[in-house]
Amino acid sequence: MTEIIFIDAKWEGEIKLEKKLEDYLNKNKIKSLALFASVQFSDVNNLIKEIKNKNIKVNITKAKRTSKPMQILGCDTYHDSFDLPVLDESDAILYVGDGYFHPKALLLAQIKNKKIKPVIMWNPISKVIQILDEKIIQEQIKRYKRNLKMFISADTIGILVTIKPGQNYFQTAKRLKEFLEKQDKKAYIFIDNNLDLRHLENYPFIKAWVNTACPRIGTDDIVNIKQPLINLKEASNPVKALEELEFRN
Amino acid sequence: MYSLELDKIIYEIKERKAKQVLIQLPDGLKKEANKIIDSIEKNTEAKAFLWLTDCFGACDLPLGLDILKIDLMIQFGHNRYWKTKEW
Repeated sequence: MTEIIFIDAKWEGEIKLEKKLEDYLNKNKIKSLALFASVQFSDVNNLIKEIKNKNIKVNITKAKRTSKPMQILGCDTYHDSFDLPVLDESDAILYVGDGYFHPKALLLAQIKNKKIKPVIMWNPISKVIQILDEKIIQEQIKRYKRNLKMFISADTIGILVTIKPGQNYFQTAKRLKEFLEKQDKKAYIFIDNNLDLRHLENYPFIKAWVNTACPRIGTDDIVNIKQPLINLKEASNPVKALEELEFRN
Repeated sequence: MYSLELDKIIYEIKERKAKQVLIQLPDGLKKEANKIIDSIEKNTEAKAFLWLTDCFGACDLPLGLDILKIDLMIQFGHNRYWKTKEW
């Protein structure tokens, strides 16, 4: 059997409270921060110390699927993805790292909240601050609401399952099929490795799709396809999921 | 700029007596692939190979490596992922 090891590939530079970041925190009168980082940038002890020295509280939690507190993965996209409600309890959210994929999860995790707190992105390599706010997920939310409505009225459902071990929910997919068929919907299960959504058009009899693999397929990729697709988490109660988003335009 | 921990990799390969090793890299580290393979080939008896395409995270491990008799797979840029029982 193949053994597996992981190498963090940590960034070798020093992560500290640079003046730009300090000025931003001061200017916005931030008194508490929810701190997250991707694994390459998770050596932030100095940064935490320096932020605390400015009388700013640093709130840290562990996301469900991660190995370390403070680490964020792209799949931590739900309000209940975290051990502690640090997103709700902090004035602001600080993400240390590069790229949009991980910090975007922190916005998606707030979509049921009346107010989505923006994410302050601090890139220690370029030493640039960027503010990621709800505008970046607006189209996705709009599309997701449309998809939920179409799923509710669809009579034929396709359930997508990946064979990737870390994202495989075959048993749950089979239970979902039974559940949907008790509600007079007909469901078919489709299995593949990479779920390439371009192939959905080959099955015109499917009126709506459910993704059981990476949740980001159901949030990010839906804007690139015309077929309605929702995530597994909402498939058991799409009406409730829609109600929870009703206030959001 | 990112620590490839080549000494650790060499140690792990020798310790496990791995004969065939597969390296999987996220896109940002793919440009370092030759350094990793060259180091393994220079410092161990193992044959080293590269996974060509996606590496979305620790949740995204290639299947069927047993068929190729790959003893050890080393994924860079991620750490252990804890799959939840339910979504």
